Amino acid sequence: MNADTSAWARPSGGAADDATDASDRPVLRVTGLSKRFGGTQALKDVDLEIAHGEIHALIGPNGSGKSTLIKILAGYHDAEPGALAELDGERFDLHHVTASRHDRLRFVHQELGLVGELSATDNLALSRGFARTAFGNIRWPEMERRTAALVERFGLGIDVRRPLSLASPVQRAVVAIAAALQGWEGRRGVLVLDEPTAVLPPGEVARLFDIVREVRDAGASVLYVSHRMDEIFALADRVTVIRGGRRIATRPVAALTPRSLAELMAGEEVERGEGRHPGTAGGTGHRPRAAVSTAAPVLEVRDLRAGPLRGVGFDLAPGERLGITGLVGSGHEIVPYAVCGAHRGPVRGTLRLPERSARWTDARDAARLGLPLVPADRASEGVIGDFSVGENLTLPLLDRLRALGGRLHRRRESALAEEWIERVGVRTAGRQPAGARITTLSGGNQQKVVMARCLARRPPVLVLCEPTAGVDIATRLQLYDLIARQSEEGMGVLVSSSDTQDLLALCTRVLVVRDGRIAREIKGRDITESALVHAMEGTE
Amino acid sequence: MTSTPTQAARHRPASTPEGPAGPVARTTRVRRAVAALSFRNIGAVYVWLLIVVLFSVWAPETFPTVTTVKQVLNGNAVAGLVALSVVPPLAARVFDLSVAYTMSLTSVLTAWFLVTAGLGPGAAIALAMTAALLIGVVNGVVVVLLRVDSFIATLATGALIQSLITMVTNDSSITGVKLLAKPFASIAQLDAGGITLPVLYLLLAAVAIWFLLEHTATGRRLYATGFNADAARLQGVRTDRLRFLTLVASALLSGFAGIVFASSVGSGSPTAGTPYLLSAYAAAFVGATQLRAGRFNAWGTVLAVLLLGTGITGLGLATSAPWAASLFTGSVLIVALVLTGGRIALPALLRRRKASPDTDGAAGPAPTTEKGIGR
Repeated sequence: MNADTSAWARPSGGAADDATDASDRPVLRVTGLSKRFGGTQALKDVDLEIAHGEIHALIGPNGSGKSTLIKILAGYHDAEPGALAELDGERFDLHHVTASRHDRLRFVHQELGLVGELSATDNLALSRGFARTAFGNIRWPEMERRTAALVERFGLGIDVRRPLSLASPVQRAVVAIAAALQGWEGRRGVLVLDEPTAVLPPGEVARLFDIVREVRDAGASVLYVSHRMDEIFALADRVTVIRGGRRIATRPVAALTPRSLAELMAGEEVERGEGRHPGTAGGTGHRPRAAVSTAAPVLEVRDLRAGPLRGVGFDLAPGERLGITGLVGSGHEIVPYAVCGAHRGPVRGTLRLPERSARWTDARDAARLGLPLVPADRASEGVIGDFSVGENLTLPLLDRLRALGGRLHRRRESALAEEWIERVGVRTAGRQPAGARITTLSGGNQQKVVMARCLARRPPVLVLCEPTAGVDIATRLQLYDLIARQSEEGMGVLVSSSDTQDLLALCTRVLVVRDGRIAREIKGRDITESALVHAMEGTE
Repeated sequence: MTSTPTQAARHRPASTPEGPAGPVARTTRVRRAVAALSFRNIGAVYVWLLIVVLFSVWAPETFPTVTTVKQVLNGNAVAGLVALSVVPPLAARVFDLSVAYTMSLTSVLTAWFLVTAGLGPGAAIALAMTAALLIGVVNGVVVVLLRVDSFIATLATGALIQSLITMVTNDSSITGVKLLAKPFASIAQLDAGGITLPVLYLLLAAVAIWFLLEHTATGRRLYATGFNADAARLQGVRTDRLRFLTLVASALLSGFAGIVFASSVGSGSPTAGTPYLLSAYAAAFVGATQLRAGRFNAWGTVLAVLLLGTGITGLGLATSAPWAASLFTGSVLIVALVLTGGRIALPALLRRRKASPDTDGAAGPAPTTEKGIGR
């Protein structure tokens, strides 16, 4: 009991002074951190230094390597050789989670790692153990008292006996933080919070901030991972910006403005120029950025409401590549699912494909329009892992391949599969690409198969969600090219992505969703990383 | 069994097409033949041959005879029908554990309609099959519409069916001269050269299921439903309808097996189906390791039924140990499942979803599946 709360007993104050004290050893120092996943360099030579008693923010766009960095600190991923790590000046091995490391480095992951069916008491006990009597049965009253002591200081009236699934999101976050802080023996240490507000409703964010400050004032350092700039300014003492797997800068927050931080996140104008037209390598560069189209739209969506979306509408012109983006939680990724009738959960709104019918379709019946979707999660929604490449490709086309007696026309099937494998350039190891099991392909090649089977249905609109997630750079470019080719042939492309690279490389127009509505429309040459970041964060 | 298939089972033959340069058509043919005859593809055939040799040595007087062949075929036809009945649901990853009870029900209902109600064989069979159809629909409603896990749901409907059986029979077999007399008895007892009609039913059912699963769009969609229902649904596969239909199909086929059983033994037994449940699933799972590795399929299942049947018949002839049969079935099932290395789709209940390696560390709106990191 005493040990559990000893960290709290320390008088607060002086934390901010410590942070600026140059002679003070950093609580955590990591240098030369690199990590590669297949062909993707997730982290390259990243340094991080966290001072005693500070709230240190780690910020960067999606896919910048934040999560990888955290997972390496947590010992979940192994860093590549050459990385050095110190806790309080003491060298430690990143590959092994030792007791002393665990004592000084605690994590609250984005998904919180709680069991919803169990109470706060049970959840805390899962990581800390149960108090038992001599007979081995659990001493519930003591457990509950202990838990209550830990969570009550946050003053949210958490019932330590109720299942957490019945608690509010911020209460759950607090339980997760309390669980991470249990038995915090060393006064110097780092609590890592990975995007804790992603699952919180806006009203509860401020309360979480109070709690984070309280943790800091009690003597711990906090590494606060986020990609929301407003949170950084509200909370953090210092901020480290990473982008593309590299550390861009570490600055005191007081020395930054929202604009200058956005520029650090988005990168310099010059740097952006390089990666901006990846298509040029493939020879189809210099595409018109804004398709000035007077043609009738191929897809019209009105007043779409689902999840956090509170009325989203747009027209999609033929040949247009329309991007939809926003921060995590904005609901932008729901749009493609809703348009294809694949969103689970209530949907309202109307949409129509004017070329097919002038009638408006209720969004609840959107599946009837039969628009194919390139889903976000390739493994769970995209490919069928136990199927071959060919079987994956032809699954939605089987009706076309019927021969006499309902028999599947095998020869036509393999011809169709091979035709599309050729067209989208799927690379497989073996000589019979159609027969190879799909899971033997790289992520990017799997994505090509998913895309090919959508294209094979010759839809008026190609709808994609996070089309390049987990795809290496080279294959990304091929995917961009493939998508661009379709739109040049007059297909409308609707792509939702939280990766600004996708939007920059692909889109002729981008809609930015914020607070459930389209906050901003960016067209053609105005689509720049900083414009996107500002629009997403609302710092225009 | 040796350890070779463990390594072999990891790769499908189609995905490793290497060979020396030469006349392409010929090498392809040779490669295909080698792949088709490889242990990983038809291991059960080799094990089966081994068993035949073993028992021929062990019981040289009684085992290697024509009588044994007939006994294995005739004696396992009903078991084969029940095993085939669970193949289409399993392909769509639906467990129908009620097949055994459905079988018992149709056997007692047919007997009851014939003996107690005095109906003709045609009417009795039609009514019993209607009952089987109803069971299929009820299973479909509970599993598909009410979204109860099929494993539990069909266990529950099985209990309901058992209560119905007890109502009809008072827990004693129904026998009567009409069951033993010509028209009805012929269903299972008519034979040509010692091979009885049920063997033909088994053959027909296997051909039908093989055609459905291998050669029709519906079969492909069934497998897609079983492997990844979410992805299949996004591709326009009506997964719910398919699951529903497989439950109806399994009820009908196992119901038919019950009628054949009643005809072959000449009575309606309230526990007719119970012993067939384990062997049906054993055969279906062993079958899924054969021919179309990783997919529940008709001929693999038939092969497994014959393998298990031969082993049990041989054990019966070689020793009189009553425990040997179950020991054999259980061992074969475990060995086969170990050899496939868990590649076969188990029900959601028994299986944890694996995180995909290629989305690791990448951006995506869906929350990642790794939880409790650093614990």
